[in-house]
Amino acid sequence: MSKPPTWRVALVFALLAAVPFVPGVSRYHLLLAFDALLFGAIAMSLDLLIGYTGLVSFGHAAFYGLGAYATAVLLERGVLSVWACLAFALVVVGLYALVVSYFATARRGIYFALLTLIFAEVVYTFFRYTQTFGGSDGIQGLPDASVWPGVLIDTPTRKYYLVLAYLLGAWVVCRRVVTSHFGRVLVAIRENEDRARFLGYNVQRYKMGACMISALLTGLGGAIYPIRAAFATPDLMVWTESGEFIISVMIGGLGTLVGPVIGGAFFTLLRDKVSSVVDWYFLVIGAVLVVIVLFMPRGLLGLRRLVRLRRGRLPA
Amino acid sequence: MILEVDAVGKQFGALAALTRVSLSVAPGQVFSVIGPNGAGKSTLFNVISGLHAPSTGHVRFAGEDITGLPPEQVNRRGLAKTFQITNVFPEISVLDNVRVAAQSRAPESGRLRSLWRRPDVDDTVLRLLEAFGLGRRADELAENLSHGEQRYLEICLALATAPRLLLLDEPTAGMTPGETRDATALIRRIVVERGLTLLLIEHDMSVVMGISDRVAVLHFGEKIAEGTPEEIRHDPRVIEAYLGGVDD
Repeated sequence: MSKPPTWRVALVFALLAAVPFVPGVSRYHLLLAFDALLFGAIAMSLDLLIGYTGLVSFGHAAFYGLGAYATAVLLERGVLSVWACLAFALVVVGLYALVVSYFATARRGIYFALLTLIFAEVVYTFFRYTQTFGGSDGIQGLPDASVWPGVLIDTPTRKYYLVLAYLLGAWVVCRRVVTSHFGRVLVAIRENEDRARFLGYNVQRYKMGACMISALLTGLGGAIYPIRAAFATPDLMVWTESGEFIISVMIGGLGTLVGPVIGGAFFTLLRDKVSSVVDWYFLVIGAVLVVIVLFMPRGLLGLRRLVRLRRGRLPA
Repeated sequence: MILEVDAVGKQFGALAALTRVSLSVAPGQVFSVIGPNGAGKSTLFNVISGLHAPSTGHVRFAGEDITGLPPEQVNRRGLAKTFQITNVFPEISVLDNVRVAAQSRAPESGRLRSLWRRPDVDDTVLRLLEAFGLGRRADELAENLSHGEQRYLEICLALATAPRLLLLDEPTAGMTPGETRDATALIRRIVVERGLTLLLIEHDMSVVMGISDRVAVLHFGEKIAEGTPEEIRHDPRVIEAYLGGVDD
């Protein structure tokens, strides 16, 4: 487990905060950065489950999508406060996550993964194939949200700071979790679930706790997306979206928190760059991912270790 | 009696792994369960510790009925178990292994405040590691320990939950005769020091005979004898079970 010192994290956030002031940074760059950091933060939240607890969720797109619809529904009705949107997303995602995590954590391994997937598909089908929330079009043309009355989140710079605040908040929560006693028990569960039970831990309760924290953070990420994009569509909760979250965790480095942020950002940037050149961009991305998984089993963050090994600073 | 196993039976489909097994363990006793391979010893432990609910019969611990309770609840009542096949947390350090075990007894454990308070159990943990000669290995990953050290770590995990009754499932499995002798002496000493009651499954007769106050013999899922080590050694049914037919 890597323990980045606080000053280094503060430096990274300071640099990120300075991005809008860099000459030549356009609206397009800022919105792309928004997507990259949002994806990274969600991958980090998922890492709590995959990397630390050893649970692979194939249903995070539903938490993400529900959060997005929560905001969209409020904005559509003229409730513009970002705080109201976030609170509403927490309630909606929380209720759904409570049900999913209760049933999914009662099963292990592949069954956990399948249950999260099935629940998410039910949610997707509801939003996509009924007209309750606009069907396949979703909710479009949303107004800008406001931090408080009169202060709108209307420029790319403000939207960028919104995602940066979200990333910082999510990072603080995730660090809190993994360094706490609760987090240590999660790692023990990942390592050996049965033994944890024989040491007196109610394993399902811990798994549910981890699921809830991860789901709520992901839901908050979803909740800020319509503030940037002015829409919420069922595409946000297609199961491939869940797959991309998982891939981001993998390419970043499991159980590192920082790795998945880098992985998510890398994935977003890669997709953006390649898709602007060719339409069959998924072939290229696929090839890159295969190379990473095959040759960097510890993910992008593992590169750092490799470099140190070369320089002989770490014992092999 | 701290532990009473009352006419416990366990069926796996058509197979009767245990048939009406009863035994009583008095506080402070070292009680061993022996028997050839497949006699149902580990099944008995799994029933007592909550992994399997028995098909028939009851298990009482310190006067309370614990039949069919899940392992975590049985453990919380003060009954800790080790495993025949080493069962530790491989990719975390030795110290963190025992730490997480000890922390399960902290008041914060299982509560929301476990998110910001980390129970300090390091004194207990380090003392335990020292007692088993693992002090120097505290920062090593558990998977890098030698077989014998992992067997000790296994016992440390159970002891860290501060049990009143300790169930050891073949603690010396895979050890050399020399290691077995050391381990037996160490276990004996720790049991006495901590005032524990010990229920032991063992294959190695030298261990059983040297350490036990009472011995029960299982054969094909039934208890065929119980008594002091001396009585068991001379019991014709036991000699028959060990020498007649079933290969140990």
